Amino acid sequence: MWRSYSYPYVTVLPVLVVVALFTIYPLVYSVHLSLYENVLTRPLDNDFVGLQNFREVVTGFYFWRSLWSTALFAVMAVLAVTLYGLGTGLLLNQPVFASALLKVVVLLPWAIPAVISGIIWRWIFDGDYGVLNGLLLASTAIDRYVPWMSNTVTARICLVVAHVWKQGPLAAVFLLAALQVIPGELYDAARIDGAGRWNSFRFVTLPYLRATLALVLIYETIVAIATFDLVYVMTGGGPADATAIIGWYAYTEIFRFLNLGHGAALAIIIALLLGGLMLLYMRALRWEEVY
Amino acid sequence: MAKLLVLLLSVTVLAFTYPASAQTQPPGGGVLLNLVSWSYGVEIVRDNINKFEQRYPGVTVKYSDFSWATYHDAMVARFVSRTPTDVLYASDHWLQEWAAAGWIIPVDEPFPQARQYLADFSPFVREALTYKGRIYGTPYYADTFIFVYNTDHLQKAGFKDPPATLEEWTKQAEAIKAKGIAEFPIALGWGQQDPFSIESFTALVFGQKDGSLFDKNLNPVFKNPSSAAERVVAWATDALQTKKILGPTSLQAMNIDMIKALQAGAATYGVIPSYSLAVLNDPGQTKEAGKFKIALMPGESHATVGFIRFYAISSQVPKRGKEAMTAAWNFLDFFGGKTDGVYQVTKRWSLEKGLGFAPTALFGDKDIRGAFGKWADVDMLQKQADLARAKEGMTSYYGTWDVFSRAELHKAYLGQQKPAETLATMAKKWEELKAKAKN
Repeated sequence: MWRSYSYPYVTVLPVLVVVALFTIYPLVYSVHLSLYENVLTRPLDNDFVGLQNFREVVTGFYFWRSLWSTALFAVMAVLAVTLYGLGTGLLLNQPVFASALLKVVVLLPWAIPAVISGIIWRWIFDGDYGVLNGLLLASTAIDRYVPWMSNTVTARICLVVAHVWKQGPLAAVFLLAALQVIPGELYDAARIDGAGRWNSFRFVTLPYLRATLALVLIYETIVAIATFDLVYVMTGGGPADATAIIGWYAYTEIFRFLNLGHGAALAIIIALLLGGLMLLYMRALRWEEVY
Repeated sequence: MAKLLVLLLSVTVLAFTYPASAQTQPPGGGVLLNLVSWSYGVEIVRDNINKFEQRYPGVTVKYSDFSWATYHDAMVARFVSRTPTDVLYASDHWLQEWAAAGWIIPVDEPFPQARQYLADFSPFVREALTYKGRIYGTPYYADTFIFVYNTDHLQKAGFKDPPATLEEWTKQAEAIKAKGIAEFPIALGWGQQDPFSIESFTALVFGQKDGSLFDKNLNPVFKNPSSAAERVVAWATDALQTKKILGPTSLQAMNIDMIKALQAGAATYGVIPSYSLAVLNDPGQTKEAGKFKIALMPGESHATVGFIRFYAISSQVPKRGKEAMTAAWNFLDFFGGKTDGVYQVTKRWSLEKGLGFAPTALFGDKDIRGAFGKWADVDMLQKQADLARAKEGMTSYYGTWDVFSRAELHKAYLGQQKPAETLATMAKKWEELKAKAKN
């Protein structure tokens, strides 16, 4: 009797312990940290300060600047990743030569750790010895090396390119999977009705991709806003804080400014921000109609 | 079922208890010291560790290293997570911060012999090792930021002597650029992620007339109109934006990137830690070797920044008992102090890597003069070292201000805001941090 009663609990327990340890505990601890003064260089000052950390973060020097940088980055990155994914998915859905091999090759960047891909792209964009400059110079597209990551505009673009290279393949695979289940008869019917390529795409393909596109948009927005590793490796937030997006700002607050209270408050703000955006997406895409 | 539960519990208990004991005691008994450093001369470090372990049987050193650019953050993570860390590399950038946080401990109370070494060191070293009157370690190396130039480039441009002031520097660089010798004659390691960048900037400020960042009461004098800092920021902005003599990649460059630009002959001038001159003049590394010389820092005072990196003991060690404390001090003494009456490890770093040293008497050492003479004018090195000053504003919030300031300085260099605005923002941040630290 005891065995049959306890069996489900015992089998679920390990997973529950792991989730509690790595998800629930950090979350609760972050909330706790955010409500207390917690500057590592003043270890004895640990007063309860309520929402003061949140107020200081939001009215602080960096918040709105980093939010603006994050918005710029996220809009560029999500659009680019989605378009890349859609384009690649459509291409791989055609009966092209060695398509199986191509699918593997396209997915490769996604399998490379973000830090490694950041280092690769830092080398590619390097203003002194980068491959990109070498290629552009050889093709006479430029007449001198360009310091891509020393300029606030090009540094942002470099970051987006690296992000798309890393994240695009996953979007492509999602969308390719969705494309492959669209019934061929629908295209035949559309063709009989006189639909060209564009109208077939618009009235057959896109409606069928809606659910997957929604997923891609939501997932990529989360990833873009929470991006940290590429910034850490490629730009360190520079130049002039142009690439200091909000994830980087949270890291800086904790590891460089040693203010755990501010860092935790910021992490919670990021989580709330993401939650809000998800709700907006779901409403805009009429989630209930998608599924 | 009960057996399964017991097994699960046992595995969990083992997982949580095993690492703690394994990381404080070696398998054969004795004392285990966890050493953490940044990645530089790792083979020499390992060899020094072997020698230390031979001299102190029973002490085993477990060594980990992290890159220089990420070292501060990696150490913060280690300290906060209480990852076993006993002896470590530290920098005068972070001494006050780490001491205030209680992560490293003063060594002069348990080991008063640490104070005896001070008399051997340059004044800037004594100052940089001290926080609230206490000594926090023994020097790994002590160095200065120096001004270097490519003699070949200067000769081709028709200059006999290196520039003595910022104005002369600009004129020479413009001439070198105009003659097509180097498109961007000046290279500086001012990447936002490089901890060296604030020291390089400070060295240029110290080189000017009234070159200070803070007064004795820690007030930011750099915000004053026409301060040395404002002159340097305005000069750099002009060099980058208008005259285009400062390489734009300087804003993404780490020290190593700047060295590569000089080695490739792409740049003429640099402001570097003096040990990097050994790399520049190493024939095994560059065709330009032998062409680089040191000159006094351009400016009216020619002063520069003297800085130290040192060995420290973490606050985890006293909790492990007297034996661990003694082992940790022996480590600091062996690596940064005298062994058999000689600064053996310090001297080895100088001879093999050209690292600067804290004991001033080593400038007269025959071996060192011989080794340094291969890549530098030793008398000029000493002259510049005599003009070196410790960084100002060394407080528990200097690190925070440093990181903040790196980005603000970029905004001025890129022309996004005026030098005075940048310095005013930096001063405001300083005052804010200072006020918070007092509360």
